[in-house]
Amino acid sequence: MDEPEATAGVPTRRMLMLGAAGASMVVTIRPALAQTAGSVLTCEIPVPEPRQRGQWIAEDGTVVPPYTKDAVRPPSRPLKGEDVRKALRDRRLLPGTSYEQTQAYTRYMQRLQNGNSGFTCFVSLKMR
Amino acid sequence: MLEGFAVVYHPASGATHLLASPVPEILATIAPGRGAATVAEILQRLAATFDLDGDGLAVVTARLAELEAAGLVRRA
Amino acid sequence: MRHEIRLKIGPVRFRVGSDWAGPVAALRSLYREYPAADGVPDYSVRLEATRPWRRFIRPSVAVRGDHMLPDALPLDLAHGVLAAEIGMNLQLALGERRWLLLHASSVARDGRALIMTGESGSGKSTLAAVLAARGWRLMGDEFALVDLVTGEVRAFPRATSLKNEAIDEMLLHVAEDRFGAELIGTPKGRLRHLRPDARAIAAMDEPATPALILFPRFGPPEGAEAMGEAETFVRLTQASTNYVPLRRAGYDALTRLVTSVPAVAVDYPDTDSAVALVEHLWAGL
Repeated sequence: MDEPEATAGVPTRRMLMLGAAGASMVVTIRPALAQTAGSVLTCEIPVPEPRQRGQWIAEDGTVVPPYTKDAVRPPSRPLKGEDVRKALRDRRLLPGTSYEQTQAYTRYMQRLQNGNSGFTCFVSLKMR
Repeated sequence: MLEGFAVVYHPASGATHLLASPVPEILATIAPGRGAATVAEILQRLAATFDLDGDGLAVVTARLAELEAAGLVRRA
Repeated sequence: MRHEIRLKIGPVRFRVGSDWAGPVAALRSLYREYPAADGVPDYSVRLEATRPWRRFIRPSVAVRGDHMLPDALPLDLAHGVLAAEIGMNLQLALGERRWLLLHASSVARDGRALIMTGESGSGKSTLAAVLAARGWRLMGDEFALVDLVTGEVRAFPRATSLKNEAIDEMLLHVAEDRFGAELIGTPKGRLRHLRPDARAIAAMDEPATPALILFPRFGPPEGAEAMGEAETFVRLTQASTNYVPLRRAGYDALTRLVTSVPAVAVDYPDTDSAVALVEHLWAGL
C-alpha cells in the first residue's frame, strides 16, 4: 500500500492501532452499592413485561408472537436478580434454561429502557 | 476523554462506560445520522480517516460484541 | 418515640429517636457543642427494640429509618451510639441526592480541601483526625459531600469514629475529654468517638474548593505516585455511595472533580510520614 504523502497544509492520516481481538476495551463502571451497607438487593425482572405476557422472545431479544421461528418461550416466572447477576458475571446459563433461552433473555434485558419493568433491577445488577 | 479513555454516560440505562481506543472511533462510524453498517462497512468508514494497524475484521467484530454486551449498540 | 435528639451536622439534619434513653444521652454528650438543629429533619433514624419485650430483656437495637437494609443485624444496647451512627450513615448514603457522596475524609486549609479516600482500614479517618490536630480544619471523617453544581466540598463533621489502635494513637495527640465513652466488643472491635474541635464545628457550613485527592494506604515502604484520571474516575465511583442514582448529574460532577483536581496514591508506614507527605504534596500544588 502506498503511503500517502504529506503535503503542506494537509495533515497526514493518523494510525489507528486496533489492538488484539481478544483484549477487553469496554469497561462498564460497577460501583459497589453503599459500602456502609453490604446487603444484597433482591429484585426480579419479568421477561417479557407484564403487559406483553404470553409473547415469546426472539434471538435478538425482541418480543414476538408465540411460535415465531427461532424464538424461545419466555420463562414461567420472572428472573431473579441474583441469578441474572451471577450468570452475567460467570458467563453461565441462567438456571434451568438452554443456551438459546439465556441468549434471548439476556438480549431482551439489554434492550430494556427506563420505564420498562425490570429496567432498574437489570441496571443495578450490572452496576455491581 | 480522560487520559486515553473515552468516558461515556448512557442516559437510557444510567450506566457509565470507559472505552479504550479503537472503541470510540468504531462508535463514531455508526453514530446517529451515519446509518447502520456491517463489519466490513465499519472498517471502510474507519479506513477513510485512519491507517489501520491490526486484524480489522476480528477486532471490529470483537469490539462490537463488547459494545453490544454493554448496551451501547445493537444489531439493526 | 420515647427519646429523641435532633442533630445538624454540616448541611444535614437528623432526627434520632430511640426506645431507650442511653443512646440519646450519649449522642447528646458527643454533640453538646453543636448548634441547635432547627428546621425540618432530612432524615429520621429509629433505634427500636426488635420485639416489645426486647426493650428490657437482652436488649438489642434494630436500626430503622426511611431507607432500610433488610438483612441488617441488630446491635447490643451498650453499642447504641454506634447503632445511631450506622443509622445516620445509612440514611445519608442511600438517600442523599443533593450532593455526590464520597467515602472519604476531608480537611481544609485556606479554603481548599484535601480529600482522602479508601476502604475501611486505609486510615483515612485517623489521618484526618491527626491533620486536624496539626492545624487543618476537619471537614469530615467518613463522607465528603461534593456540590453537584459548584463542585465545592461541603463539611460533614460528625464525631469521628476511631477503632482499636487508632484510639491509642489519637490519645497521644488530643486531650481525653474530647473523646466519648469507649465501646468494647463491637462488630468493629474497640470503638471510641472523637469530638471535632470548636473550629471545625464553627466552620461546618463553610465549603472548600477541592485541591488534592489522596488514596492512602497504610504500610511500608513510604511512597507517592500520581494517579491517572481514568483510574481516579473508576476508583471514585467505587468510593461513591450515590454515583449511580445521581445519573447524569453524578457523572458530570465526578468528571469535573477528576479533571480539575490531581490525585495521588500514597503509601505511609506511620502517621508522621503521612503528615509529611501531605504537607509536601500540598506545597507542590
